[in-house]
Amino acid sequence: MIPVRCISCGKVISAFFDEYKKRVEDGENPKEVLDDLGINKYCCRRMLITHVEAW
Amino acid sequence: MMVLEGLEVKGEEGSNMEIDIKEKNDNELTCIVEDVDVSFINAIRRICTVEVSTMAIDTVSIFKNDSTLFDEVLAHRLGLVPLKTDLEAFVLPSECDCEDECPSCSVSLVLKEKGPRVVYSGDLVSAHEAVTPVYDSIPLLKLKEGEEVELEAIAKLGTGLEHAKWQPTTACAYKYYPLITIDDSCEECMKCVNECPRNVLEYDESENKIIIADIENCSACKTCMNNCEQSAINVDAVENKFIFKIETDGSLSPEEVLKNACDILNNKSEKIVAFCKEGAKK
Repeated sequence: MIPVRCISCGKVISAFFDEYKKRVEDGENPKEVLDDLGINKYCCRRMLITHVEAW
Repeated sequence: MMVLEGLEVKGEEGSNMEIDIKEKNDNELTCIVEDVDVSFINAIRRICTVEVSTMAIDTVSIFKNDSTLFDEVLAHRLGLVPLKTDLEAFVLPSECDCEDECPSCSVSLVLKEKGPRVVYSGDLVSAHEAVTPVYDSIPLLKLKEGEEVELEAIAKLGTGLEHAKWQPTTACAYKYYPLITIDDSCEECMKCVNECPRNVLEYDESENKIIIADIENCSACKTCMNNCEQSAINVDAVENKFIFKIETDGSLSPEEVLKNACDILNNKSEKIVAFCKEGAKK
């Protein structure tokens, strides 16, 4: 499960994970998806980019 | 301000403070504050992060949890879910007359779901129509076929001093307003323009010189200075001018956070004034 908030700054990033995952799987560029979702800080961006949904 | 009645503000600082809003949306506010000193703006910043109260889930009674997530982990995830807060409607538990919990200091949220499915923050059923999760799409736990979860969570007001889940702000910071000067020894070698990581500088072809295109984006990293062989460029800060950014988790708007922070600072100052007046009488 993705952490509810960004570990560094506390922004709620988990709320965008489902949309991020779906759009990236559909072939969109992760950079553009993150910009579009308003996730601008690099601490928050790595939360989504590096997350692996294990179970 | 009541405390300043009949008092003349002496000195230059603080007398003509000016605020300009640069950018604003639901959860973010960037403004330029002029003519204040570091101690004042830092006091506001610290109160914003740590003393303005918000709602967050504090205690969770778990009746049933068949998921792979431990009860403690689930309770922690619930605590981090931001809740829309109406500061007028609730009081801090420490200031409430009740012994344990009552409707004026706490709200109950119930979660009862059956698998197979992912349970989201939007599935929480609140007893108070104003206190609901800011986002409905936060995944809380996953349930497989035949698994169930049943819990009651109690949300209370609190401050960031006690736990970070009660901080209304996520990023809340200020930086000095940058001041970049380029003198006549500049040879337009373009090194500063190319090296700047934030594209602050630009080359103006018509006038054949380097211009500052986006000064407020400068982070004062001084990469341009270090790359200039003629030492023609200099990065400094404007005194007593700041770029102040507040980003909230959605529980309160940035304006509400600022207003409450100022109220808290005002109350504290008034207490000092009252104390001084009483002391003078004795």
